[in-house]
Amino acid sequence: MTPGIVPPFLLDRLASTDDPRLARAAAAARKTLAMPRPPRPTRRRLRLSIDGDALVAEAVPAPDRVISDAGNTENLPGRRVRSEDEPASGDSAVDEAYEGLGATYDFFWDAFARDGIDAAGGSLLATVHFGDDYDNAFWNGERMVFGDGDGDVFVGFTRSLSVIAHELGHGVTEAAGGLEYQGQSGALNESLSDVFGALAEQHHRGERADEASWLIGAGIFAAAVQGEALRSMKAPGTAYDDDVLGKDPQPGHMRDYVETDDDNGGVHINSGIPNRAFFLLATALGGFAWERAGLIWYRTLTAGTLSPTADFAAFARATLAAATTEYGEESEEVAAVRAAWAGVGVEEDAGS
Amino acid sequence: MPGADSDERFAILVVRSGGIAGLSKQWRAEPDPDRAPHWRELVESCPWDAPPTPPSGADRYQWRIEVHRGDTAVHRARLSDAQVEGPWRSLVDEVRQAASPGSGAR
Repeated sequence: MTPGIVPPFLLDRLASTDDPRLARAAAAARKTLAMPRPPRPTRRRLRLSIDGDALVAEAVPAPDRVISDAGNTENLPGRRVRSEDEPASGDSAVDEAYEGLGATYDFFWDAFARDGIDAAGGSLLATVHFGDDYDNAFWNGERMVFGDGDGDVFVGFTRSLSVIAHELGHGVTEAAGGLEYQGQSGALNESLSDVFGALAEQHHRGERADEASWLIGAGIFAAAVQGEALRSMKAPGTAYDDDVLGKDPQPGHMRDYVETDDDNGGVHINSGIPNRAFFLLATALGGFAWERAGLIWYRTLTAGTLSPTADFAAFARATLAAATTEYGEESEEVAAVRAAWAGVGVEEDAGS
Repeated sequence: MPGADSDERFAILVVRSGGIAGLSKQWRAEPDPDRAPHWRELVESCPWDAPPTPPSGADRYQWRIEVHRGDTAVHRARLSDAQVEGPWRSLVDEVRQAASPGSGAR
């Protein structure tokens, strides 16, 4: 289906509602879904690889990247500065965003046969040079936005592939039905983006689970900051310990779960718990982490059965169900998923 | 400001949390009495009772803004990044400007 401004899952939900207050919207949604859509041409490219003695040529989908420059204002989208197939611009933030989106696209295609954020080849939109000394990168619901950092703490958010893939990952989660950005479901939303961020980087580097750093945002801190990254999936709470920033507050176990009203209920703090569960799974299974651990998490997200308000226990149950469907009940993978959640103190039986 | 005598000192606290880094940063301004009318006007122009809007997107900042008189918070609001515009933006910008340099700065 050609993607419209309203995602198909939302139209489906609206169309099937029997709430009398939404009768008109439901009828409109049904009408929209019934309308024939013109096929949209999908970008494709020829990819060459070597398999044994054979040269393999295959046509695979290609990304459609559009990078804009906000010119250090907070106005979006900014001026379009590099589109697909255009040469490097010479602006490092523009070119890092372009290359990073390409590497992330390749990861999602190679690992999960997913064609971009909407799984339908939609454009990957990004804006760089957002704001003045802006210390953040975010997903605004339709595009990825990157600040340059203030130079004292952060030196630019496009320098890290895991950050770029983290933001694109938010788009994938939203397109898959979303996880409410509050409390535990918000921490799961954050954790999925860290998982996709780490996996995109490992895929780009050809790293196996035991070789990877499992750091998110390595290389975006200024030299004066005492820290190596924003987060560590391997050892949550150890990414930085700095005079100004303080100590990395992430827990890696439910016994250390942080209750707070800030940060939408600690979505960037408690994500350490599912992050470490994923690390435990990936390193228990070994090999390339996207092949089994990543696939189980991806299937969990995209099965269409995950509630947008899922808590850690519900997500753990969903990963077990996804692993069972993919590999069978008695499989090594199912046992490893169960052990990973037990390792961070999440009881998948809770609340069931 | 409800219950605030014109000659009473007050303080404004702005806490920014979230963002991809999940780092909290805060600024506190305690206006001098001769500037109090200006600050009171800034505070009173903000829609403190407006309903909160759910966050959109991800990794946006979240803002907590409080006005304290003594130990009592006389106003408190939690805002999404998109809500920090108009009078909120003016208040936040002035608090950040007035806050002592070095609060969270390297």
